[in-house]
Amino acid sequence: MAEAKILVIDDDIDLVEIIRLTLENVGYAVIDAQSGERGLEKARGEGPDLILLDVMMGSVDEGFQVAYQLRGDAATKEIPILMLTAVGDQTGFDFDPAKDQEFLPVDEFLEKPISPRKLVDMVRKHLPTTI
Amino acid sequence: MPQDSRIPPETSQFVSAASLRVRLDWFNKLRWIAAGAVVAAILVVGVVGGYPLPVVPMSVATVVLLLLNVFYVWRNRRIPPENVGTELRLVKLQMAGDLLVLTKLVNLTGGVENPLLFIYVLHVVIASLLFKGRDIFAVAWFAILLFTGTVALEFFEVVPHHHLLSASDMTHELPYILTTLASFWLVLLASAWMGATIMDHNRSIKDELVARQQELIKADQAKTDFFRFVTHEVKSPVSTAQSAVETALELGGSSMDPSSVDLLSRAVGRLEQATDMVKDLADLTRGGILTRDALRPVDVREMVGLAVEHQRELAERREQTIDFALPETPVVMTTSRSMVEKIAANLVSNAVRYNRKGGTVTVVLEDREDRVVLIVRDEGIGIDPADQERIFDEFYRAPAAQKLTNLGTGLGLPIVRRFVTNLRGTIQVTSGPDEGAEFRVVLPRQTPPLGDEPGADGSTTS
Repeated sequence: MAEAKILVIDDDIDLVEIIRLTLENVGYAVIDAQSGERGLEKARGEGPDLILLDVMMGSVDEGFQVAYQLRGDAATKEIPILMLTAVGDQTGFDFDPAKDQEFLPVDEFLEKPISPRKLVDMVRKHLPTTI
Repeated sequence: MPQDSRIPPETSQFVSAASLRVRLDWFNKLRWIAAGAVVAAILVVGVVGGYPLPVVPMSVATVVLLLLNVFYVWRNRRIPPENVGTELRLVKLQMAGDLLVLTKLVNLTGGVENPLLFIYVLHVVIASLLFKGRDIFAVAWFAILLFTGTVALEFFEVVPHHHLLSASDMTHELPYILTTLASFWLVLLASAWMGATIMDHNRSIKDELVARQQELIKADQAKTDFFRFVTHEVKSPVSTAQSAVETALELGGSSMDPSSVDLLSRAVGRLEQATDMVKDLADLTRGGILTRDALRPVDVREMVGLAVEHQRELAERREQTIDFALPETPVVMTTSRSMVEKIAANLVSNAVRYNRKGGTVTVVLEDREDRVVLIVRDEGIGIDPADQERIFDEFYRAPAAQKLTNLGTGLGLPIVRRFVTNLRGTIQVTSGPDEGAEFRVVLPRQTPPLGDEPGADGSTTS
């Protein structure tokens, strides 16, 4: 059985390393990209099974833009996206979770700092079951 | 304090076009009353009393006054106030017209014999409410000129003299005339001087207050900007550090010696505390979300209920009861859901944390006509009166609270107060040492979006 491949798009190289250690420890392969642009390339080129996407890289909403582009591309639109939000961000949007989840093109929001256990749980939950 | 409350520059020095217009409207009402009084005087004194009043010319003067006022009222309704200069010129013209009509009426009702000449003083007082020094004296001198001129013309029999009520003839008693004129001059000029002095003083105080308030708003904004900057810079390192330590413990904890594991666990605890602080600071410094879109109709029972549910577990561990009865009908407000949520959450969580073991926390939600009242009461350590203002300051923690727990960011109540203020509500605390504490938040049912606040143009109705 091929191991699932997770793409981490985040410009915080320390956090990428932490996520890599955590996910490799439970048997996933991890590739990473440090900008939205590189992330889109790798999503198209390497066909990851799941994407962890940081909401705020270069600009406040770069992550959202990347998510929209991933969803708009036939090659990537089926890949589950877990969005990592900075601490304190999520409360700032005045979310109406029931309503807003529908038009935000991601499968889950994970607020940093995310514990290793929760990260693994969430990745397992959203990975396609065929793997 | 709302973060972008603005003081319009024209409030300073000293009136805006809008506030002048409010006063003009008020004077129009006074003018109706004055005209009504003259009509009443004609009827009572002339018709019922039978005194020989010159009814026809008096009525003509009154009709002139009424027509002028109809025009003034029409103009105020039709043309929006734009320019302070235009409005001021208009007030001066109106005042000149009023003084002319008054002089004609005084001339028709006894001239120098008529004690109603004191009505001129009223105009000087009104002028000092509206104008600055030189213009007040201009009004006083204009009144003096009109009245003295009338008396002189009557004295030299250029215009006819109408006796006041009786037939006694004081028009030619020079000592009486001179005494009256001297007191008239004195009273008018003294009123103008006092009015100018007092009002100048008031205006300089007001200008100073406005300037101070602007400084305070700026300082508050600078503080918020600084907090926001620090929060932004600190949040990534703190959360990455926390993840790093947690991951190290998860992956390698089993092969470490127990004291290292203990130390790293403590580090996680402290990093969690720092994360809480970052979250609170992020709450405290977020602004500009009170747009029309962020204000939605919500049933506040949900948010308060959620705040209570989140604290039930901690309350049970401390053998406390949370006494909260949901109102049976929805309590709908047009407001910011996340802010009300945070207000309720912070107050209920404080109440449980600072309550005594076995105590009761009472949460009351009252649905009033145009506002909603949230009361959160505990039976805990209470707040010393000396601390009751400071507990709303950022990072301040009352000594009694510090003694109880060293967790706590000192930001919970500042956030509550900031959000309550943003939503145009009020918060009050009633407490004493060891008497528990009661927080009472009153929120308007409709929070106006930013920029819609009343009085934003600095207008006053007084």
